[in-house]
Amino acid sequence: MIKQLSVFVENKPGSLMQVTSALTDAHINIRAIASFDTPEFGILRMVVDKPAEAKAYLTGKGFVVRIHDVIGVELKDEKGNLNRMLSILAEGAININYIYSFVIRENRAPVMVFNTDDYEKAAKVLEEANVKIAEETDL
Amino acid sequence: MIWAKEETLPRAEMDAIQLERLKETAVYIYERVEPYRRKMDEAGVKPEDIKTLQDLGKMPFTYKTDFRENYPDGLFAVDKKEIVRYHASSGTTGKPTVVGYTAQDLDMWMNNVARIACMGGATSEDVAQISFGYGTFTGALGLHGGLEKIGASVIPMSSGNSNKQKMFLQDMGVTLLVATPSYALHLGEILREQGVDPSKDLKVHIGLFGGEGMTEPMRDEMHKVWGEQFVCTQNYGMSELCGPGVSGECTELCGMHINEDWFIPEIIDPETEEVLPPGSAGELVITCLGKEALPLIRYRTGDLTRLMYEPCKCGRTTVRMENLSGRADDMLVIRGVNVFPSQIEEVLFKIDEIGPHYEILVERQNRLDVMTITVELIDDRLLDSYSKLSKLEQNIKGALKSQLGLATHIRLVAPNSLQRFEGKAKRVTDLRKDGL
Repeated sequence: MIKQLSVFVENKPGSLMQVTSALTDAHINIRAIASFDTPEFGILRMVVDKPAEAKAYLTGKGFVVRIHDVIGVELKDEKGNLNRMLSILAEGAININYIYSFVIRENRAPVMVFNTDDYEKAAKVLEEANVKIAEETDL
Repeated sequence: MIWAKEETLPRAEMDAIQLERLKETAVYIYERVEPYRRKMDEAGVKPEDIKTLQDLGKMPFTYKTDFRENYPDGLFAVDKKEIVRYHASSGTTGKPTVVGYTAQDLDMWMNNVARIACMGGATSEDVAQISFGYGTFTGALGLHGGLEKIGASVIPMSSGNSNKQKMFLQDMGVTLLVATPSYALHLGEILREQGVDPSKDLKVHIGLFGGEGMTEPMRDEMHKVWGEQFVCTQNYGMSELCGPGVSGECTELCGMHINEDWFIPEIIDPETEEVLPPGSAGELVITCLGKEALPLIRYRTGDLTRLMYEPCKCGRTTVRMENLSGRADDMLVIRGVNVFPSQIEEVLFKIDEIGPHYEILVERQNRLDVMTITVELIDDRLLDSYSKLSKLEQNIKGALKSQLGLATHIRLVAPNSLQRFEGKAKRVTDLRKDGL
């Protein structure tokens, strides 16, 4: 169970940098980051080390910020492991809204972050299949 | 051709007609329209105080807001059963400005539009395609009826759907086009892109334009697109006064002749409300004569112009008004539709997910007006998914569409991105230069 930060960004040069620059000033460490190509505005998704502090700081700087729960799954760095996790979710008929991975893990198992509307069911099917779900303290 | 003898009367005869009708109108409105009677009482004016045309200056003004305060028909002078037609245009806020016509009003209106059509060179030989949007706006049905009156063949095409426009222009041998000037330019360019040269392949040789002003650079462009043979004139009106038919350009192209036997124009300083001497630039104020359903005295049009009283080479003696130079208020004309920023504001304020600040940008793309409204997102819950943000954008567009009758572009930005103003905010940027 991990917290994700979503920040509203306009689709224009420098808008992502404004967010990372603010987080740097606040001594927040970004662990995972994703944004997708959308026409006029976008949502920057991040996993950071201090989500509540990050939100407070960014909101104070005028950003619109949302914290919500996402599922992080630790995968062994072996061929077929991502496929295995996705198969479990597919069999459970769980729809993934978006998925992205961590930036740097220093020799630790890679973590995939995904978002779903069936949060509890997703956690259940993964646990039943013995897939390790990452907690904030694991990151 | 000159449609009515009243268009060529010597000044003294026109003055006599105006004075007689003004006296009648003053009595009529005082007896039948309670809100205006109150205004006259407050100003201490009685109908019998109108003894000369100059006495018109004693009468109180009528404002656009009077329509809102007396919505929908509090300014009407006749019973509902006398009304044979309603039209409506934009109000300054949610409710439209509703106008009504008796059978006699419609007849007078159509006669006035017939005059305008003749001024622009139309005859009973013409096949007219009306490419104004139909509906409650007065433009389409006004020109429609006036052209039928002179015996022209009318095609009620409405706006949009350029393929269908093209088909009828070609197949029906259309000779006369009614549209907003910007739509006519847009349509002409589409025809050219599709390999149709309007000057050679079509019979269109008359354009009667309205709904928005046509600048001289636009007229020049019109000749480039539709050909040198294209006689394009513009005409003026607004639903409160009747719709089109208040004034129009003749083929001499030296201002719009006002149908003075039915409309008395004045030019005032919009700030002091003082009547300005002939030839001055200022706000046009119109008094309607002889209207049964909706008599109006000294209506503040908000349009800035100048009046020219010298007789015209065309033979008409009626006063001409110059091409409009702007507005005394903040009204915008978007694709021929009047838009008040207050209407937009009213819609935006009801949407909780966005902040109270906004900016309106108007520009012309492919000859057509495009309005972009920038608003600040304040609700973080929408960040759960892109579709929520997208849905907000669609909701804003939908609410504006139903309020304004126009499609808009919405730009969502972060809070505090828009400029803050102390005092009067400048929220509108209009990049349309010379209408091009």
